[in-house]
Amino acid sequence: MIANSVRRMAGALVLTMGLAGMAFAEGKVTVITPYLAQPGTQFYLDGFKASAEGKGWDVNVVDTAGDIAAVIARMEDAVTQGVNAIVINVDPAQVTAGLEAAKAANIPVVGMDAGMSPLLATNVTSNGYAMAAETATYVANRIGGTGNVVMFVFDAFPPVQMRGVIADAIFANNPDIKVLDRVTPDVQDGGIADSRAKMEAILAANPEPGSIAAVWAAWDQPALGALQAIEAAGRQGEGIVITGIDANPQAREAIAAKGNFEASMAQDFAGIGAATADAVARVVGGETIREPMIYVPTKLITAANVAE
Amino acid sequence: MTATTAGPTGSAPASPLIALSGLSKTYGGAVALDDVGLDLWPGEVHALMGENGAGKSTLIRVLAGVTPADRIRVRLQGRAVPLSSPADAAAIGLRFVHQELNIVPHLSVAENIHLGRPAPRRLGFAVDWPRLNAQAAAALARFGVSGIDPATPAGRLGMGDRMMIRLAALLAEADTPARAFVLDEPTAALTHAESARLFAVIDGLRRDGAAILYVSHRMDEVMALSDRVTVLRDGRLAMTAPRGGFDRAGLIAAMTGRAEMAAPARTAAAPGAVLAQAEGLATDTLRDLSFTLHAGEVLGVAGLENAGQSALLRLFLGEGRLRAGSLRLASGARPRSPAQAWARGIAFVPRERRREGVMPGRSITANTVLPHLAALAGPPGLARPRAEVRMAARLAGALRLKFRRLDQPVGSLSGGNQQKVLFARAMAGDPRLLLLDDPTRGVDVGARADIHAAIRARVAAGGAVLLTSTDLAELLALSDRILILRDGSQVGLVPALGLDAAGLLALIYGMAGRAGAA
Amino acid sequence: MIWLRRYGTLAGLAAIVLFFSVMLPETFLTLRNLGNIGQQVSMLAVVAFAMTVVMVMGDFDLSVGAMASLSGVVAAVLFVHGWPVPLALAAALAVGVIGGILNGVLVAVVGILPFVATLGTLTMFGGAASLVSDGRTIFGRDIPEAFSGFAKGTVPGLGLPALTAVALAVLALVWVLLEQTTWGRRLYAIGGNAEAARLAGVRVIRLRIQAFALTGLGAAAAGLMYAARVASANPTQGNGLMLDAIAAVFLGMTMNEEGAPRVLATLVGVLILAVLDNGLTQMSVDSYVREILVGAIILAAVGMAGLGGLARR
Repeated sequence: MIANSVRRMAGALVLTMGLAGMAFAEGKVTVITPYLAQPGTQFYLDGFKASAEGKGWDVNVVDTAGDIAAVIARMEDAVTQGVNAIVINVDPAQVTAGLEAAKAANIPVVGMDAGMSPLLATNVTSNGYAMAAETATYVANRIGGTGNVVMFVFDAFPPVQMRGVIADAIFANNPDIKVLDRVTPDVQDGGIADSRAKMEAILAANPEPGSIAAVWAAWDQPALGALQAIEAAGRQGEGIVITGIDANPQAREAIAAKGNFEASMAQDFAGIGAATADAVARVVGGETIREPMIYVPTKLITAANVAE
Repeated sequence: MTATTAGPTGSAPASPLIALSGLSKTYGGAVALDDVGLDLWPGEVHALMGENGAGKSTLIRVLAGVTPADRIRVRLQGRAVPLSSPADAAAIGLRFVHQELNIVPHLSVAENIHLGRPAPRRLGFAVDWPRLNAQAAAALARFGVSGIDPATPAGRLGMGDRMMIRLAALLAEADTPARAFVLDEPTAALTHAESARLFAVIDGLRRDGAAILYVSHRMDEVMALSDRVTVLRDGRLAMTAPRGGFDRAGLIAAMTGRAEMAAPARTAAAPGAVLAQAEGLATDTLRDLSFTLHAGEVLGVAGLENAGQSALLRLFLGEGRLRAGSLRLASGARPRSPAQAWARGIAFVPRERRREGVMPGRSITANTVLPHLAALAGPPGLARPRAEVRMAARLAGALRLKFRRLDQPVGSLSGGNQQKVLFARAMAGDPRLLLLDDPTRGVDVGARADIHAAIRARVAAGGAVLLTSTDLAELLALSDRILILRDGSQVGLVPALGLDAAGLLALIYGMAGRAGAA
Repeated sequence: MIWLRRYGTLAGLAAIVLFFSVMLPETFLTLRNLGNIGQQVSMLAVVAFAMTVVMVMGDFDLSVGAMASLSGVVAAVLFVHGWPVPLALAAALAVGVIGGILNGVLVAVVGILPFVATLGTLTMFGGAASLVSDGRTIFGRDIPEAFSGFAKGTVPGLGLPALTAVALAVLALVWVLLEQTTWGRRLYAIGGNAEAARLAGVRVIRLRIQAFALTGLGAAAAGLMYAARVASANPTQGNGLMLDAIAAVFLGMTMNEEGAPRVLATLVGVLILAVLDNGLTQMSVDSYVREILVGAIILAAVGMAGLGGLARR
């Protein structure tokens, strides 16, 4: 009976051999992410895989379903397995233990929109400063460098905080632009509803047409909330300019409608994936990448190019 | 009545209705039944007795067709018939009432009676409820049972009524005529009144010519009911005799293979120190109880079902709230929880062994020592397994427990031996006060004698016992005095000496002066 | 048959280890990899050991994962407020005990089924964790090195990872409590038949509250281990531990005749899950296929134990 049970167990495991049949090719790369279920991650991976296929790599994608400690565990496993490189899609500060294990084994780890860390060979991402600069200058130019601007920011989250800093600088550099309010919305419900409520209060406090020239939002949700508030107040005819960042589908729809929401920034997720693959190729090839961050260009989305 | 194949009683039939012979069954080398024969005659109640493990259960399972025998010959009115499946058993006309009644509590009485058969329909699909209920009421009426609404959920009824429902269901199964009824410990969960009603029904079935195989541990019932008795011992036929050919002592000797241990004569010793005193005691269910309990005394508590016996015992265990009066114990105030009660030397054997007593998956040792863990433990609450095993072994020996290993799960013991484990648990701390709530329910004669001996030993050592029992003979045999309850009120406190079952029953029913039917 | 029932799961673990040793001869049975496994499994192990305590009584605690998240977040927020590390940890552990007592009171005093009661507190603890942290991940400079450094450390002289040492200490503690004390005996009695235990003088209500409190404490400790390992805390990071912990206890329960949870058997269950994760990752098995396999193996083990029991009858 005991033999039987062992045989059954073994049978189940032999099955996995078949599934893992192509495991031992040249150029093994393990991609570990806790966020596979999120749509952006899929685009990164598509870009990465397309590029990796051309290079003849064996790519293993590990999803830990939100479990950060499991990312460390799987990194350690990949190190033990002796892969050629590891790609992570998680804040490196949270997986230091895994990064150190990889470093000790001389296995390079490349960040795919991960974050900056001395333990990463490099990190491939979009330039948040540049994105904020593009939308902030778009606002400043559209209102002719004069008028009251409402800002939606979120300083508690570093990648968003840096966008606010740039917009602050650009608006400060235009002497006739006055920042009317610098709002931090409550993001528990995604940010749209509370941003709308905050914007409604600001509209009520500034009833004169033209008293608000523009709304600059550090990401799309507050921009959408502000748009709803302006339309609900019946003030869409005043030419208030709204911009967001990320160009999510809802934002693209609003931009395509040619209303107040005029512009947002699109990141090139597939491009980040492809560039990550290139970076991996470079470090595996023995190169030391000097810059800790590799930026993939972003694109301003307006009504002119939103349909592309 | 469908049981009509046999002639009326009186004109003795030439051959038995059902004759079993050469019945043998082994389970993996262990002989359960060895060349047993059994005849069921029409119009007769045939009692089947034997200690737990004697082979009664196997015999019943063979009869029901659920356990195939290794060898068996079955003749139905002289004609050989097969018996290897439940369908065969049904075709022969056998009907079974098991200890655990197959009643679906959520369904109505009428649905339970019609269980497994198509209900009467209206328009071909809708259940014809009025007709279903009327048929059920008619089936019940055949037993002289009235007052059960066929639309009531069966779960709301008492055990006695459920038994009637089950019997009615058996009679209503009309595919094959019901010729013989097998009743397995039918009174185990019944009150006296319910038992009496069942006996009347059995009598009716017998007069209609049915054969009844009546399995019971209860000597009084067997003596009163049966026309014939078969005793099994260790899988063999120990005795079979018609009425007049057996007596109480003979049955016990046949079952146990030893003569009945004469109960040591109760010494009418002077009562010991007062252990507990109740004055004007009242709770939600009890009213106006006043009595004293002395060391070295068994105080029986008698009454109809739910007259308050259990509630009174539970009061000593620290359960229930006093509404009026007082209950003082020599050791101080009344305990406020079972934990406190055990800590003060009050031990308890509950009424529902499975629900309130044993932990079936746990070992004999774990079951025995549970209330005494603190006493056995080392300083920082560390358990001492060896001391635990020693305690369990000592009590298992004293109670003549039949077991393989002390670490076997209690659930694997027979009912009587499980009960002994509960006794071992209660006795282990040499309690000052033993609360016994119907302690020999469903226990065979041998185990019962061992339990009685343990109770007497405890009393002789100066302990006091508060005892309830559905077996009046037991109550009379063990008690010094008997407290009689009716609807929670005290209606009498009488010495047991000189009282017989009929007299006690008369007191319980409040018919002093008239002879009660046993 | 009893043999199969008792040792089938252990043999399964041995078979899994053997299989990986053959498939991954270079890397699997190395000191380094075993150390990795010991470290990877430590948080799940602590939750599973704590879960064993309530499952001994036939109860459940679905809130352990949410409690692990909550305790990590509480400690991190206190770090942000400048609390010294030991004080913040003590406060987080206290939150675990309080949450456990809440579970115990709901189950033992109010009388809500454990499944429902802890489902309710699971949601409450999860909400509390989001509330305390503003729904954010706390990381970076807010997490003191004294805290996150612990997870990277080893026991001096032994080379044993610190997290593994903590798990072993918890294992020893739970083993002593459950197997060697009268307290544990009474817990098993409650699991055997709660009403019978109560009537035999076991203080069922008090014990159940104590047991749930202990489970809450264990969950909180696991949450802190997790936060130290990832050097950050977010309000959902421990949630995944609950189902794995229950699976581990169930795997362990296949190892004895009565089907009662034993903490050493839980360890075997935990190891099976961890070894499978480790080995299958090294073999580059797709993570979704891995999940399907792990689930199937749990069912196979429990199923075979069930069949073993059936055949004995």
